[in-house]
Amino acid sequence: MSYSDFMFLAATSVDWGKFFIVVGIMAGIGLIFSLLIILISKYCVVHEDPKIAEVSAHLCGANCGGCGYPGCDGFAKALVEGKASIDDCGQTTKENKIEISNILGVSYSGGTETIAVVSCNGGTNCGDKYSYQGYGSCVSQQILANGRKQCEVGCMGAGSCVDACPNLAIECRDGYAQIDPALCVSCGICIKTCPKKLIKRIPKDAKVYVACSTQCKGREVVDMCKSGCISCGICQKFCPNDAIHLVNNVPIIDYSKCNGCGTCKAKCPRHVIKSVYEEK
Amino acid sequence: MANLLIIIVSAVFVNNFVVVQFLGICPFLGVSKKTESAFGMGVAVIFVMTVASLVCYCLYNYVLVPVGITYLKTIVFIFVIASLVQILEMVLKKFAPALYRSMGVYLPLITTNCAILGVAELNLTSAMVTNVLTATLNGFFSGIGFLLAIVLLSGVREKVDKLPIAKPLKGFPITMICACFMAMAFYVFGTVAL
Repeated sequence: MSYSDFMFLAATSVDWGKFFIVVGIMAGIGLIFSLLIILISKYCVVHEDPKIAEVSAHLCGANCGGCGYPGCDGFAKALVEGKASIDDCGQTTKENKIEISNILGVSYSGGTETIAVVSCNGGTNCGDKYSYQGYGSCVSQQILANGRKQCEVGCMGAGSCVDACPNLAIECRDGYAQIDPALCVSCGICIKTCPKKLIKRIPKDAKVYVACSTQCKGREVVDMCKSGCISCGICQKFCPNDAIHLVNNVPIIDYSKCNGCGTCKAKCPRHVIKSVYEEK
Repeated sequence: MANLLIIIVSAVFVNNFVVVQFLGICPFLGVSKKTESAFGMGVAVIFVMTVASLVCYCLYNYVLVPVGITYLKTIVFIFVIASLVQILEMVLKKFAPALYRSMGVYLPLITTNCAILGVAELNLTSAMVTNVLTATLNGFFSGIGFLLAIVLLSGVREKVDKLPIAKPLKGFPITMICACFMAMAFYVFGTVAL
């Protein structure tokens, strides 16, 4: 700026009277509105439980909706109100669950971290009752005569769970759904989606699981599925830890006793018992 | 009476703020995913628009013009709108927490919704707006126009979401196309001689 510019500024006369009127008007409007806001905020104060914020800070924050509440904030609210159990969330880590139960003041039973597995490996080895032509999801097939498969509890492999999984952890190979344990966060959405209720949670550190849920006897199973459990009981006989038992013709593994030795998997004549982390 | 009717038709259809004048596109596209929250947003905008046009028109004509400081109108209008939105937010948080959560970040964004500043500004230049009553009516029915547009689009979006759409078009692109067709449909009202 040159000297003459400053001279120009100095020559401009400021109408101080008007200046103060303008400032006064603006300040007046501001004052009126701020008073109004203060009054209304006094009237409309919302008492939110500070616990809710603490709990939601410890939740994993994936907002998957697997617990059935609208997002992690909704779940936190339900937890504080005592409507939900912390075990409804599959993904929050154990340490954080313990923290949350401390905040809530409830004793935590100490559930283990889990992943989901599909307890069927039939797929193309399992015969069809009829040829299904129509909208492709398992849910719609289930409506038609309890699904396409001869086996009442056979995975139809049409991928309703694949569509539902928020983490893209499920894919259908060889005609049945398979869950990638590295991607699964155990949110439980697939468990709710599967019309056959074939997907279940097992502990994250489990080595083996039973990939068949049929309660039929051996002969019937052989007729309809080449890879179904025939309830021979070999796994039960050879398990060194007494961890596997036939219940209603299905082997059930007691994961508190199982040490992951893999004997059952090696002995099973139908290869129904599978490793969780299987080589592809 | 005829004048009032013209204001109503003009604000809702002919000069619809969203699909004809393209003001307030942000909440129009942002909150139109579900009809429920779109309706809530529309009602909130109606409230803010009505009160904002009333207060802004009065302030302009009875304070700014007599003192001769009309150059401050934008600041004053923003002042008014921001305060109104703040009040609305607190009221909603208290009485309609579900609506408050579903509107999320878009509620404070009403402050910067140019449709609202637009209605306050256009009230000053519009030939139809002659007094406080017509200004308020214009604000109210502009809000109705916004509600109409956003609810229509949300209905279209809910239907479109269920259709098999090519992957590159899924989501936002198809929404833009829907909004484009809606705008073209609304241009028909522009041919009406008022």
